[in-house]
Amino acid sequence: MRKRTNEEQNIFELLKGVIDPELMINIIDLGLVYDIRHKPAEEKIEVEITLTSPGCPMGDVIIEDAKQLIENHFRNFKVEILLVWEPAWNKEMLSEAGKKALGSI
Amino acid sequence: MQQIASQNAPSANIVIPHFAFGSLAWLTATLFIALSPDAFTTHYFNPKLLAITHLLVLGWISMIIWGALYQLIPVILDAKLFSEQLAIFSFFTLAAGSILLCFSFWNFLLGGVLHLAATLIISAVIGFSFNIFKTAQTSRNKSIERDFILTSTLWLLFTVLSGFVFALNLKYAFLKPEHLRLLKIHAHTGLVGWFLQLIMGVASRLLPMFMVAHSLNKKKLQIAYYCINAGLLLSISSFFLNTIIDIIITAIILITGVFYFVSYLKEAYTKRVKKNFDTGMKQSVLSFVSLLLVCIISLLLLFYTHENHSPRLAIAYGSLIIIGFISSLILGQTFKTLPFIIWLKVYKKLIGKIKMPLPKELYSEKLLTIQLYLFFAGFFFLLLGIILSHHTVITLSGTLLFISALLYTINTFKIILHKPHIHEKTN
Repeated sequence: MRKRTNEEQNIFELLKGVIDPELMINIIDLGLVYDIRHKPAEEKIEVEITLTSPGCPMGDVIIEDAKQLIENHFRNFKVEILLVWEPAWNKEMLSEAGKKALGSI
Repeated sequence: MQQIASQNAPSANIVIPHFAFGSLAWLTATLFIALSPDAFTTHYFNPKLLAITHLLVLGWISMIIWGALYQLIPVILDAKLFSEQLAIFSFFTLAAGSILLCFSFWNFLLGGVLHLAATLIISAVIGFSFNIFKTAQTSRNKSIERDFILTSTLWLLFTVLSGFVFALNLKYAFLKPEHLRLLKIHAHTGLVGWFLQLIMGVASRLLPMFMVAHSLNKKKLQIAYYCINAGLLLSISSFFLNTIIDIIITAIILITGVFYFVSYLKEAYTKRVKKNFDTGMKQSVLSFVSLLLVCIISLLLLFYTHENHSPRLAIAYGSLIIIGFISSLILGQTFKTLPFIIWLKVYKKLIGKIKMPLPKELYSEKLLTIQLYLFFAGFFFLLLGIILSHHTVITLSGTLLFISALLYTINTFKIILHKPHIHEKTN
């Protein structure tokens, strides 16, 4: 994975404020955020997000929450959340904190 | 970008009345259990037990299942519900039909009121079935869960139509086979063909999702599907043949189907990422213990035909399926679905703008925990009261179940009536 820029790292930290309402864990610790691209020249931010299951009924809530959160902090930027399914999410993508919160460790 | 489930969700106003009515029907049914213990100590073909059973299977279980299914269709079939108006029509006809049916059975009125109730219920089921099949037509999803849902809907149609014929036969006696054999077919197509099969379709999708379990062996579900339906078809033939071999083969095939389904859920449980279970999931898992007890009692019923004890076992068997398994599952799963439905209704437009509570905060966890313990205590005493044929024990069980149902109803309405707490979001 390429190294994140400072702004991308800020967005990464910001996204810890987006909670999956069912699992009650933030989407960073769940490992749902695959990539963050901060493009100042285009005034655009792209975030690649997956879900733990394609049928997740809370999917668009998570996406909308992430979008709103970034837009509130980067007011001149166009924020695009891309829902991706490859690679498929698995438990190895959980952070240590995520595993602990789910009782996996 | 792939379409996601919540974008196809129906209006919450379609779903909510089902939960409101269902919870009140559950409350009423438990009150009836407390007030009429004699319904459980005589032969199962008695007016009060017929009234309580139909209030439970139509007013409570089917009502909640329909409401939940309208919400879950987008998740399972990846399609939008065909008609919300038809769902409203089915709700009102099922609600009116189940009240009237309960009233006519309680008072053993076999004429006009019973036929009106049956007509209303058939209209509701035809409306529901049409809605589900039209929705499935627009879906490209060809999963085994879809097969479970569609086939269970066909069995529901069969059940209510056979129930209607049965109701007419009570008055005009035009069918040759005895009532109890007809009743067994009607009960089993309803309990196994409709409820169990639908639960298999929905639970095999939802429970792994709630447990965050992946890479499961779906072959088990396919075997379960074919066993359940082959067993049911055989059970109808055994109705005509009425030989013990035919009945034993039917029972073995059905139990094999249940075994493969439970094995699938066990695999999900073993592979689950989410190890911590909330109270709703605990109750759901415990309900499957009742399903295993059902299999044991069904085998006992095959070989233990003592004329004094067999009807008691039959009542215990029915209570295990309707209360111990299906009601328990619904009591747990309500708190895995309804808070999310209301949360989406109330907060969807406020996402990112205000600090929102979590769906879990829409109800009282404490009430839910007490409800769970009271339910299992009440259900234990119900089985004990049936086996001992003891009125006081059944009254005690009904009282515990009633208090549990009261807590459930309070929590359900607390969720339904939730109003948004507006606090500006501070990032």
